[in-house]
Amino acid sequence: MAIERTSTLLAVLDDDESMQHALRDLIESTGLAALCFGSAEQFLNSQARYEASCLIVDIRMPGMSGLELQAKLSSERSLMPTIFMTGRGDVPMAVHAMKAGAIDFLTKPIDDAQLINSVQKALQQDRANRRETIEREAFVARYNTLTPREREVLALLVRGLLNKQAAFELGIAEYTVQVHRAHIMRKIEADSFAALVRLTTKFLPETSELLVTRNAPRHESLQRR
Amino acid sequence: MNAIVESEALTRDLQESKARLEEAQRIAHLGYWVWDLKTDRVIWSDETYRIFGLSPQEGPIDLARVRELIHPEDRDAVFRTAEEAVLNGTRPDSEHRVVRPSGEVRIVHSQGDVKRDASGQPYQMFGTVQDITERKSAEETLRRTQAHFREGQRLAHMGSWTSDGSSCSWSDELFEIYGFDPRNGVPTTEQFLAIHHPQDRASVADALKMMHEQNRGCDVTTRIVRSGGELRHIRCVGIPVVEQGEFKGFRGVGMDVTEHELLTRELRREQAYLNEAQSLAHIGSWATNFATGQIHHNSDETIRLHGFDPRQWPIPLERFYSTIHPEDEPAVRATLENAVRTRTDYDIHEYRICRPDGTIRFLRSFGHHDPSQEIGEYVGITMDITDRKRAEEEREKLRRLEADLAHINRVNMMGELAAALAHELKQPIAASITSANACLRWLAHDPPDLERARAAAARMERDGNRAADVINSLRSFYKTGSSAERQSIDVNEIAQEMIALLRTEAARHNITIRAELAGDLPSILADRVQLQQVLMNLMLNAIEAMQEAGGEMMIRSGATSEGQLIISISDTGVGLPAESADRIFDPFHTTKPQGTGMGLAVTRSIVEAYGGRVWASANHGHGATFHFTLPREVEGHR
Repeated sequence: MAIERTSTLLAVLDDDESMQHALRDLIESTGLAALCFGSAEQFLNSQARYEASCLIVDIRMPGMSGLELQAKLSSERSLMPTIFMTGRGDVPMAVHAMKAGAIDFLTKPIDDAQLINSVQKALQQDRANRRETIEREAFVARYNTLTPREREVLALLVRGLLNKQAAFELGIAEYTVQVHRAHIMRKIEADSFAALVRLTTKFLPETSELLVTRNAPRHESLQRR
Repeated sequence: MNAIVESEALTRDLQESKARLEEAQRIAHLGYWVWDLKTDRVIWSDETYRIFGLSPQEGPIDLARVRELIHPEDRDAVFRTAEEAVLNGTRPDSEHRVVRPSGEVRIVHSQGDVKRDASGQPYQMFGTVQDITERKSAEETLRRTQAHFREGQRLAHMGSWTSDGSSCSWSDELFEIYGFDPRNGVPTTEQFLAIHHPQDRASVADALKMMHEQNRGCDVTTRIVRSGGELRHIRCVGIPVVEQGEFKGFRGVGMDVTEHELLTRELRREQAYLNEAQSLAHIGSWATNFATGQIHHNSDETIRLHGFDPRQWPIPLERFYSTIHPEDEPAVRATLENAVRTRTDYDIHEYRICRPDGTIRFLRSFGHHDPSQEIGEYVGITMDITDRKRAEEEREKLRRLEADLAHINRVNMMGELAAALAHELKQPIAASITSANACLRWLAHDPPDLERARAAAARMERDGNRAADVINSLRSFYKTGSSAERQSIDVNEIAQEMIALLRTEAARHNITIRAELAGDLPSILADRVQLQQVLMNLMLNAIEAMQEAGGEMMIRSGATSEGQLIISISDTGVGLPAESADRIFDPFHTTKPQGTGMGLAVTRSIVEAYGGRVWASANHGHGATFHFTLPREVEGHR
């Protein structure tokens, strides 16, 4: 079982101390590192909350339950891949957990191969998440170099308007739109116009929507004319 | 000669006659006196001298002397009477006292007669004086005796009467008793009947009729109604007086027996109550001499207890003996004989008798001997304990049933707990399996990491033991009758065990468990499982009270000022049921649809078996607190 040796950190949450030790040992035997916590609260108060690549959590714990923790993390836009464990097979709970984006739902006693498999999946997910985060941050940085007018133009183009339409919408010359578009392409470092649209809708889906909403009345009056 | 002879004979006769008169005067204590009104000379007969305490030879007496001899208080009256007689010609007649020279006082009766001459002038008074002291004294005695008699009748509420067939006389007290006025004379038959209670008139009339027709005596007690409406009981006894075979009438008494009658009734009522009480309690009283076999007293209930008829009195002692069950008779006889010999009390707690109708009853007999009395004299009671014995058997049956129910309850409780316990069991097993997997992986390393593998194996062992412990504690709940298993126990430790055991169950209902356990509590001697059960019952109760809304369970331990251990379990749940707060510890009382009603009852029976107490109180905010105490020196009460 080859697992990429990195400084990857796993967080194990179980109210049973024996279980914590056993899981950590199992994880360490695969060459990974794990930190153990007895409750969700304990975990949330630690640095691991930000650093862990994967969360292995018992669904029933005193205080905040595993599902509640998942909900809280997700509400904070944390993408930490989560593997749930439970003492009893609890189908509705499993469905709920999986719908909320869990990597896996394991029943105790844990099948070690299944756990390691799930951990791998989780780590892949984590890596993907991290890559995407990097891309997003890079895009946002570039986007921030745009002037307000360029952002307006970008929003209209992403919506699929032609240069001419965008010019009309903004009340400027078509040529000016072309100049803005060239600047935008350069600043965002997009290989093609298609790539520009893809990146924008992926990382800033709300930007264009907001614009649309704001300009909607004007747009309507235009159509009537 | 003849004349002389005659004269001599005459003189002799005269002297004889005088002597006889003297003798008669002496016997009758009657003297005469002559008072010459002209000369005031007084002539006394010898007896008169003696009456006045003088000797007849003392010589002539004058008026002054007479005056002197009369009692000073009577003097004036006597002479006034005499002077009036002389003046008016009446006969003086007076009783007065004389004081003899010796100082002795006598009472005399003096009568006189004034003699007048041809011209009607009084010249002499002749009289007699009689010493009536003895008669007076007798009269006084009689008077006093009669007074005493009257007083006695009055005090005894007893009056007397006599009847000679035609007329009737009543004593004063009899008038008093019947409430008639003596001045109106003896009442007529109609009046007499009228004063009686209407219900008694017929019997009074019958009695009177019988007396007069048959000359037979009577003894009747009847009621009369006095003028004020007061009811009195009068006993009237009459006996015929027969002299020389001839019926002369009746003599009798009437007695006010109201107090006696009321007392008798009271006594009869008391007796009836006592009989009733004995009959209700199935306790009979008796007094018997076991040495002579003589029965002095047997209450009706004593006789009934043995299946006899109380009207069959007397029943010999041997008949009582004969009812004793043959298997029990030797023991009963031996006990009695031993008690009689040692002159001590005895108490036969239980023996059987076969009643004449064939039923078997269980009796208990207790006898008391007063050593100052004759040997064998016993007073005692015998009670029928058959019903009690049957009730005891029923109770014993019920107790066994309760024990079974308690067992079932424990089993049920385990059912409720099964899920929680399964988790409790699964946890170490799961940990153990994971450790085993890790161990295998460390061994599969190249080279094998033996150190890490060994550590993993050690954890497996620990978790395996933990699982075994859970199973052991589980099994101990299924045991019954483990009361003998007493050991020194730290209550805090048990509390913590139970918290650990129930934490998951509590968490499932969003209940947190907190504990405030006093540090330096003494350990107590008790059955571990039973204490676990008490705590678990109360904690499960708290969880049930909060299972809808969640909350907090708080367990506190400490010592009371009397040095008892006290453990409290508080919840923030629904609180105590207001209308049945005092019944929650009763068996089969439950407010929960699925409850058996035995949880708190079992809890109480365990705590009380240790001499402790369990109670519930409402919290200031939400929920209730259950407390129980355990004496520090717990000893076996079961």
